[in-house]
Amino acid sequence: MSNTLLSIQGLTRRFGGLLAVSDVSATIAKGELVGLIGPNGAGKTTLFNLITGFTPPSDGTVTFDGQDVTGRKPWQIARMGMGRTFQNLRVFPNMTVFDNVSVGAVGAFGQSPWRALVNGGARSRAVSERSWEALERVGLTAQAGDIAANLSYGKRKYLEIARALATAPRLLILDEPAAGLNDTETAELADFIRRLHAGGVTVLLVEHDMGLVMGSCSRVIVLASGRKIADGTPEAVQRDPAVLEAYLGVEDDAA
Amino acid sequence: MVFDVFFLQQVINGLSIGCVYALMAIGFTLIFGVLNVVNFAHGEVYTIGAFVGLMVITAMAPPLLAVVPLVLAVGAVSGVGLERIAFRPFRRFTDEASQKSRAMREATLLSSLAVSIVTREIMMHIFGGDMQGIPSGYLLQQPVAIGPVMVASGSLVIFATSAVMLGALQFLLYRTQTGLGIRAVSNNQLGARYVGINTDRTIVTTFAVGSMLGATAGILVGLYDGAISPHMGFAPGVKAFVAMVMGGLSSIPGAVACALLLGVSESIATEFLSSGWKDLITYSLLVITLVFFPQGLFGHGRERA
Repeated sequence: MSNTLLSIQGLTRRFGGLLAVSDVSATIAKGELVGLIGPNGAGKTTLFNLITGFTPPSDGTVTFDGQDVTGRKPWQIARMGMGRTFQNLRVFPNMTVFDNVSVGAVGAFGQSPWRALVNGGARSRAVSERSWEALERVGLTAQAGDIAANLSYGKRKYLEIARALATAPRLLILDEPAAGLNDTETAELADFIRRLHAGGVTVLLVEHDMGLVMGSCSRVIVLASGRKIADGTPEAVQRDPAVLEAYLGVEDDAA
Repeated sequence: MVFDVFFLQQVINGLSIGCVYALMAIGFTLIFGVLNVVNFAHGEVYTIGAFVGLMVITAMAPPLLAVVPLVLAVGAVSGVGLERIAFRPFRRFTDEASQKSRAMREATLLSSLAVSIVTREIMMHIFGGDMQGIPSGYLLQQPVAIGPVMVASGSLVIFATSAVMLGALQFLLYRTQTGLGIRAVSNNQLGARYVGINTDRTIVTTFAVGSMLGATAGILVGLYDGAISPHMGFAPGVKAFVAMVMGGLSSIPGAVACALLLGVSESIATEFLSSGWKDLITYSLLVITLVFFPQGLFGHGRERA
């Protein structure tokens, strides 16, 4: 099982009497491109928050690259190599594109207080090289000096991905990246994600857009009412009666 | 001509008062930036700076240049302590609901107000409510002639110190990793946390830096005015707060510019009207600014985290 990058076991989260995520177990192997789908309110976001350390689980464990990360802080988990983007963008609007990405590079190296103040700082060569490389991967080098708030919505999305890439993530989790994009843009994004994956990044894609997930992912995990109801190839999942029921409601006898 | 020289002198006096407001306002702005909460205890850090400075001066009679680093250290320590007592307890709830909760923000605001009052009362009990004189050897009131204009040596010291501190702050914010972290957390705390920035440490650092500036302002004013009291932090604290709001809440250049504007208008008003008009001018400026520029003079639409 040394090939396993992320493993969650019996993950459960209760909010008062509400069971938002119930006993979910899954693994992601190095080099996979996995989709996580589910209807609204299925618990995708909660599961996401449990994995990335935002919300502590009521029960269960998260193991990342062989280490138990349950209950660790988000920034610690991020430093271990789990990068993420946000459904509603969280770029740094008043900073330049380059500085946005540098924060990721600096965050990943960890700021020893001493080095943070003295040794080259934000412009140190390692940070700068990593930042340029990340900008190149998303095609934003020409905008490096622009203030992030002035970028178009689509470009800000790529900026956020670049910022996550600058942390050199071993697992990149994208939270509904297609939200707010039109069909052309979604197709471009799908292309981009496939290229990222081909370049060696393990990706977990949390998505609403079925087309994007079915077309890109080799494996799809389906969540409904806080439980995992299916886990398999896109074709298998699409034929799974439990999935159809969750998405389309209970089928008529005639079908 | 006489009028012009006199006027210029008042402008210079006003600028030095404005620099003090600016040092205070930067601390406010930095802390508001990372937490989105007003730190009401900032004025007490200023008072502590002045009192520790005075205690060291009376006890050890060090050279003036040795007092400054000491006051900086005291400022940093009180900033860190303040964050622990008044702010950190409210950050233990990290779930989304608490982070967006207004009640949580108001509670934090009140806890800083409480710490401010408690600190002031403790200082009253230790030092008494009266003005304490600064030993005359340390006073910065010698007149210095620059051409036809007579300037108090204190004004020059305040200009020089403020310039150095502003320069150091710019370096910190734009040339170091620590500064990059502070700017990132100010822009979007959640985003920063998820790319590996230790936000708690960044917040503590911000308190330390802001309070270093505030404490320095306190001792400078003490040496310039010649007397300090446990209440001395209140008025400049309010003025600095006004400067921050006028400047647009999150803009350091805006806060500095507005602080200087306030200092100069106060100084001119005192001279040409009467000192009773001073505060009226300050608050009228604030009201006028907010009516015509609701975002402040230098504000940009701030994204709330």
